[in-house]
Amino acid sequence: MLPSLLVYGLINSITLALTALGFSLTYGISRVANFAHGALYVLAGFSAWFFLNRLHFNYYLSVLLSVFFIGLVGAAIYRLALIRVRGMPLLEIIVTFALGTATLEGLRYFGFLGSNYSLPPLIRGSINLFGVPVDNHRIALVLIGAVLIFMLWLFTRHTRIGLALRAMAQDEQAAMMLGIDSDRMATLSLALGAALVGIAAVVVLPLGFIATESGGNILVSSIAVCILGGLESPPGVIVASVIIGYAQILTVAYLGPHYQMIVSLAAILVTLILKPSGLFGKQKELEERV
Amino acid sequence: MRTRSLREFSTALLTVALVLFFMTASWAQQKSPPIIIGAPLPTQYLYGWDAQRAMLLAIEEINAKGGVQVGNVRRPFRLEALDTRDLEPGVPLSEALLVVEKLILEKKADFLMGGPARSEAALAAMDLIAKYKKISILTTGALTPAYHRRIAENYNKYKYLFRITSDAGQLSKEAVDLFESLRQEHGFDQIFIMVQDVAHARAIGELVGKNLGGKGWKVLGTEVYPTGALDYSTGLLKARDQKAQVLFVWMDHPEIAILVKQWKDLKIPTVPIAGISSAVEHPGGWASTEGAVAYWVASPANAGNAPSNATPLTTKFYEAYTKRWLVEPEGYGTSTSYTAVYVLADAIRRAGSLDADRVVAALEKTDMIGVYGKVSFDPKSHQVIPSDDPKQGAVGTWFQWQDRKRVVVWPNTIAVGKIRIPPDLSVPKGGAK
Repeated sequence: MLPSLLVYGLINSITLALTALGFSLTYGISRVANFAHGALYVLAGFSAWFFLNRLHFNYYLSVLLSVFFIGLVGAAIYRLALIRVRGMPLLEIIVTFALGTATLEGLRYFGFLGSNYSLPPLIRGSINLFGVPVDNHRIALVLIGAVLIFMLWLFTRHTRIGLALRAMAQDEQAAMMLGIDSDRMATLSLALGAALVGIAAVVVLPLGFIATESGGNILVSSIAVCILGGLESPPGVIVASVIIGYAQILTVAYLGPHYQMIVSLAAILVTLILKPSGLFGKQKELEERV
Repeated sequence: MRTRSLREFSTALLTVALVLFFMTASWAQQKSPPIIIGAPLPTQYLYGWDAQRAMLLAIEEINAKGGVQVGNVRRPFRLEALDTRDLEPGVPLSEALLVVEKLILEKKADFLMGGPARSEAALAAMDLIAKYKKISILTTGALTPAYHRRIAENYNKYKYLFRITSDAGQLSKEAVDLFESLRQEHGFDQIFIMVQDVAHARAIGELVGKNLGGKGWKVLGTEVYPTGALDYSTGLLKARDQKAQVLFVWMDHPEIAILVKQWKDLKIPTVPIAGISSAVEHPGGWASTEGAVAYWVASPANAGNAPSNATPLTTKFYEAYTKRWLVEPEGYGTSTSYTAVYVLADAIRRAGSLDADRVVAALEKTDMIGVYGKVSFDPKSHQVIPSDDPKQGAVGTWFQWQDRKRVVVWPNTIAVGKIRIPPDLSVPKGGAK
C-alpha cells in the first residue's frame, strides 16, 4: 500500500502543481486573480481535440497549437477586457469569472457535452515502479511537470523578459520608472498563465476525457494550492501541491474517497484563518504583522 | 384595360384565398391545440438529452399519424423541455424545482415526463407536482426506492406520480443474479465495490454488498466517491491488492471514463461490472476510452438501450432512433422515455379526456407491450412492474463491450452473447462452485 501511496501521491502533487502554476504566475505579476483559469483549461483541451480530430493535424502539432491559442486567448482577455478595470480587484474577479462562465456555457451550447471527447496519451504502455503499475503517460506527466517548473525558474531569473516580469511583481511603479511597460507585462503574464494552464490541460486531460464540468474543479484546486502556498509564490505552489496532493491520497486511502473534495476547501479555510498570506506569500505579511 | 382588371381580380382572389387559408389554419389549431408535455431534464447530460430525443421521436411518430385521440378529436403532442442541471456536482435542487414549476405555470404543461433525474431532486419535486395535481411519469434517473414507497404510503397525495423505469432495488437484484451466474460458471466469489456519493448509487452499493455477503461472497471493500472525482487509482489498487475478482462500479457522472482508463492502465485483474455508468453505456464509449472499455459490463437499465430482440418493438425503436438521431440509443432513459409517450397517449385515449383523475385511472390500467416488455404499473405505488421475461413485465438489460460492440449478456431471456472474462484474470482453481 505504501509504495502506491507514494507514487500516486507524487503524480497527484505534480498534477496539482501543473494546473495551479498558471494562476499563480498571472497573479504574482499582474495581481489579477484570473477566475477564467478553469475555463481556459477546458478550452485548451477542446481546442487540442479540435485540431486533432476535425482539422486532422499531427498530435504534437495540435498540442502546440492549442497551447499557443490559449496563450493568445489569455492575452486577449487582458487587452480587451481587463485593461479597462485594471487596479480594481473586485471587478477583475467579476470580469474573469464572467468570461470563464461564458466560455464554459458557450462550449456546452455548441454541443461539447458528454464523455465523447478525449485526447490520446503522449506515450502508451505502462511500467512497474517499486511494484506499483504506472502508465507511461503518468510518468511523462511527472517529467513534464518537473521540466516545466525548472524552465519557469530559468525564464524568470535569466531572461530579460523574465526579469522584467519579476520587477513588475516586486514593485510595479519602480519597474515603470525603469521603462518597463506595465500593460505589456500584464498582457504577457495573462498569456503565460493561460499557456501554462494549456500545457496542464494537454498533459492531464489524456488521463480521462475533456468535460466542461472539470473547469470548476480545476479553478477550486488551483485557488486552494495558491492560497496555501502563497498566491504569488511559485515555490509555494510546489510545496502546497505536495501537501494537498498527498493529503488527498491519504484521505482516500484511510478516511474514504468521499472526503477527498474536502481537503482543498479545508486547506483554504485553515490557511486563511492561521496565515492568510500562505506558506510562502509576502503580499499580506506586513498587514498581518500590523 | 382588360389585362389590368384581370390582374386586379387575380390579386383580390389570391388575397381572399390566403385570408381563408390562414383563418382555416387558425381555426383548426384552435380546435385541436397541442397537448403539452413538460420535460424537466438535465439536457446537458446523457441522461437528459437521450430522454429528450426519445420523447421527441415518439411525439413525431404519433403526430405524423394525426395525434392523440382525446374524445372525438385528435390533438398533437408538443414537447417543452427545460434544463434542470440536477446531475451537476453538488446536486443543485433549487434549479430543478424552479424548472418543474416553470413548466407547469409558464409553459402550461398538461403532463410532466422525464425527470428530475437525480433522486434527491425527484424526491424534492414530489410535493410540488402533487400540489399542482399534474400527472408526472419519471422516465430517466431517480432510481431511489423511496420514490414509489412514498407514493404507496400516501396514495391520495401522490397518486399523480408514476415511474416507468426500474428502481434501485430491481437493478441491484439483477446485479446480484448476474454475479451469482458468474460464480456458478467461473467460481468467482470476491468482489470490490466502488460507487458514487449520490443516494441511488449508495443504496445500490449497500444492497448489493449485503445480498452478496448473505450468499457467501467476500465483499472486500466499498468505496464511495464524490461526484466529479478525478482519480480512482487508490481504490483500484486496493481492489488489486485484496485480490478482488469482480469490480462492481456504479457511477453516473462522466468522470467514470477516467476510472475505466485507470482500470486498463493499472491492469487490475477483475471482471469490471458497472451498473448505470454514462461513459460505459454510451455507444461512443469504445472510441472515447480508446478501447479501454473492452470487457466492461454495464446496464442501461431497461431493454432497448442496447441492441436485442426483447419485444417486436425493440429493434423497430432501435432503428428509428438511430435513423433520427444518427446515433444508437444512448443511455438508460432512452427506451423508457420513448415508451412513456405511447403509454400516456394510450391512457389519454382510454380516458377520453385530459382530466388528471381520469388519466390516472387509465394509467393504472395500462397493459401494453413496449420497447422493453410488458408495461403495467403497480396500482398502489405506481412503479412499473419488472420481470426477467419481457412478456411478463419491464425487462432490464446488461451488456458487455466486445469487439467494439455492446453485446447484451443478461438476462438470459434476451441475451445475444455470453460474458467474456478479461485475459489478465485467472479463473479460481476448482472452477465453478
